Amino acid sequence: MEKIKTFIHRLFVPHEENNFRAKSLHTDFLTVYLVIAFLMMMFFKQNSGLHNVLGFATDISIEKLNQLTNEQRQKNNLPSLLINSALTLAAQKKAENMLAENYWSHYSPDGKTPWDFILGAGYKYEYAGENLAKNFLFSNGVVDAWMNSTAGHRENILKREYAEVGYAIVNGVLNGEQTTLVVQEFGKPMGSVQAKEISVPIVESKPQQILAQKTVRPKINAFNFTFNLNIVFMAFLLLALALDFYYASKFNVIRVGGKNTAHFLFIVFILIGLFMSTIGTII
Amino acid sequence: MTKHLYSNLKKEFKNHLFDYLILFTAGIFFLILLNIFRGQRVIEFFVLISFAFFYIIWGVYHHIVNETLHLKTVVEYILIAFIIIFLLKIIILP
Repeated sequence: MEKIKTFIHRLFVPHEENNFRAKSLHTDFLTVYLVIAFLMMMFFKQNSGLHNVLGFATDISIEKLNQLTNEQRQKNNLPSLLINSALTLAAQKKAENMLAENYWSHYSPDGKTPWDFILGAGYKYEYAGENLAKNFLFSNGVVDAWMNSTAGHRENILKREYAEVGYAIVNGVLNGEQTTLVVQEFGKPMGSVQAKEISVPIVESKPQQILAQKTVRPKINAFNFTFNLNIVFMAFLLLALALDFYYASKFNVIRVGGKNTAHFLFIVFILIGLFMSTIGTII
Repeated sequence: MTKHLYSNLKKEFKNHLFDYLILFTAGIFFLILLNIFRGQRVIEFFVLISFAFFYIIWGVYHHIVNETLHLKTVVEYILIAFIIIFLLKIIILP
């Protein structure tokens, strides 16, 4: 116990035994962190088995999107949406079309509408809608963005009339940039009841698409693991910097070394940037 | 503890106000650029690299001005900047 205490003390508190600088901030320790970060980077790059989707580092899955969507509906006392294979096919076709024709919109340059894809997949609907997203890193980021949207995405998710849903999550190059597209197609099949309502109340709001590739998800979510590891490591560095700064100030220690406050500021900005990068775009 | 930390931080920022203003401005600029180029992974990564290199240059400049420049100090800035670059490359550009 005493050994652990001494080790932690040496790791975080500047005193004569660690040359008046927290051991965790010594250049030899920083070099070890650097080597570990480099090895992780190389391992992640070369081990294709760690890629969730076609080499794109995202943690978006149909299961999670559907779970989060239905959670939102349940919170609003609405029935859960069932995944429909025709709507899934429509979402897949829509995403593929966006990548093939290089557009980011509900409507293709040659005039194809979301409803064309839904009908083309053999889904005859009474109500239909579409949500699109791109460049998100996490499923909850996508659903949160839709739920916070005032442009019709939220209305799509919470529309009482919808009974079924289809998703696609597809990676590709859009406008010269590697992108993960997410398409969500909603629908209520044309039933015997109220079949007279032939005019389709299309939810014009904003379609978001999710092309769900035939993704084989790895058992270990390497991306999520790495993301969390980054957060933990940066938090550790921030803690070490703060403690070192505090004790050095308290004991009036004067030493040669970088400025903890500058390192702290730099890492805080990086952390904010990291969280910003998890946010994509919806239409 | 908080009071002690606060007073020392205040002293540090007050003594080097101009330097920290530059670093802070660069940080804000970094976040603005990330927001502008959100989703464009290659550009995002170059923005990150630019900020990291700026941070190293800032460190060298700051210590030259304060006459505390030492090889060990420069290495420390370089190590921290590159740790961050390697870690974030996994996220931004796998």
